[in-house]
Amino acid sequence: MDFEYLGSIIGFILQGTGITLKVYFITIIFAIPLGILFALGKLSSFPPLKWILGAYTWVFRGTPLLLQLFFAYFGLPVFGIEFQPLTAAYVTFVLNYAAYFTEIFRGGIQSIEKGQYEASKALGMSYVQTMRRIILPQAIKRILPPMGNEAINLIKDTALCAALSIPEILRNAKVTVSRDFNVDAYLIAAAIYLLFTFVIIRVFRKLEKHYSYYDN
Amino acid sequence: MNVEILRVENLHKCFGTLEVLKGINFIADKGEVITVIGSSGSGKSTLLRCLNHLEQADEGKILCNVRIGMVFQNFNLFPHKSVLENLIEAPIVVKKIPKGKVVKFAEELLKKVGLMDKRDVYPCQLSGGQKQRVAIARALAMEPDIMLFDEPTSALDPQLTSEVLQVIKQLAEEDMTMIIVTHEMGFAREVSDRVIYMDQGIIVEEGSPQELLVNPKNPNLRAFLSMDNKN
Repeated sequence: MDFEYLGSIIGFILQGTGITLKVYFITIIFAIPLGILFALGKLSSFPPLKWILGAYTWVFRGTPLLLQLFFAYFGLPVFGIEFQPLTAAYVTFVLNYAAYFTEIFRGGIQSIEKGQYEASKALGMSYVQTMRRIILPQAIKRILPPMGNEAINLIKDTALCAALSIPEILRNAKVTVSRDFNVDAYLIAAAIYLLFTFVIIRVFRKLEKHYSYYDN
Repeated sequence: MNVEILRVENLHKCFGTLEVLKGINFIADKGEVITVIGSSGSGKSTLLRCLNHLEQADEGKILCNVRIGMVFQNFNLFPHKSVLENLIEAPIVVKKIPKGKVVKFAEELLKKVGLMDKRDVYPCQLSGGQKQRVAIARALAMEPDIMLFDEPTSALDPQLTSEVLQVIKQLAEEDMTMIIVTHEMGFAREVSDRVIYMDQGIIVEEGSPQELLVNPKNPNLRAFLSMDNKN
């Protein structure tokens, strides 16, 4: 392996991590609260809301993320909505991941025993107090494993942004490979993704440990 | 002098086509200890759950304007909160009482139920009897005027049952108004001012423990009690 060559291209590929991480964290920051809200909506006793959210999760979980990206960037202008490539990516990723988080949170919330709601109600707590202080903290502990999976999927899915020529890690690697007729750039990209997933796994292990102070 | 604290008039409750309560009437006076007995499916638990609106009655009136506390068969402690946190949660978030004050009161209650040494442990580290005593203390932390007990010892081993019944007896001595659904006939005889026998959604007989448990008139009640003796 030619280390001098690797050294000459690594800087350019690393430049892509900025955008990769931006897409990653914007998705996490917006999709998690949306997922919680949508999950509560799905569990509400208001049929139109449940129906709309059911259609939403079906569409976004039921079609390829790449197709959704293409639609946001190439399809929406037909309806007069034009996004920069990166904005299209943010919107698509947030809505796509919020759909998955909705289902994960819904399952987590539903797994909490009825007695917890009854005890809260008997103590005079409101719906919001019960959710915020009793149900959600317990649900979060239970959904950490599936959330860890999604957190890893997301870092890999950011590579789909390359399809909109957004200069993230994979896009920069691909440009390098085409320019130099040398696939080493892909190895560097793979190493960066592996490093990120390593960190994510560690973070979730920490979180699970943090929540292990009680059994239920 | 009897001061009325709770009045139930013509209470009806259905689950689907099954009518569980078919017109319940009774009055509870302040300081009174009422035990509700009857076989499974007689509507005792549903009655209790209607009193604090865990179930919505279909018909009838519940007249009560004091705070009601409840203790469940399965404890329903908050597993992610320590014993002390279980007690102080509702007073802080519902009654908005300052934390320092609530903690002091909660510690007094823990001493009362004999669990001060468990103040900082989590419910999963407690025995069933200890859990139920914490649940009683948690309900008391809201300073209720009436306490409802829904089969408080049914999920407990016999040897753990007595420590819970002891706490309830202590409350009775302090003149707490209580309505207790129970299968512990010995306990009912000892602690109650009045016993209510329910069968198929109605109150069949009510009176002093002597009248109901020692000299029952109703043949169903007699059969029910003799079955209990055999067990």
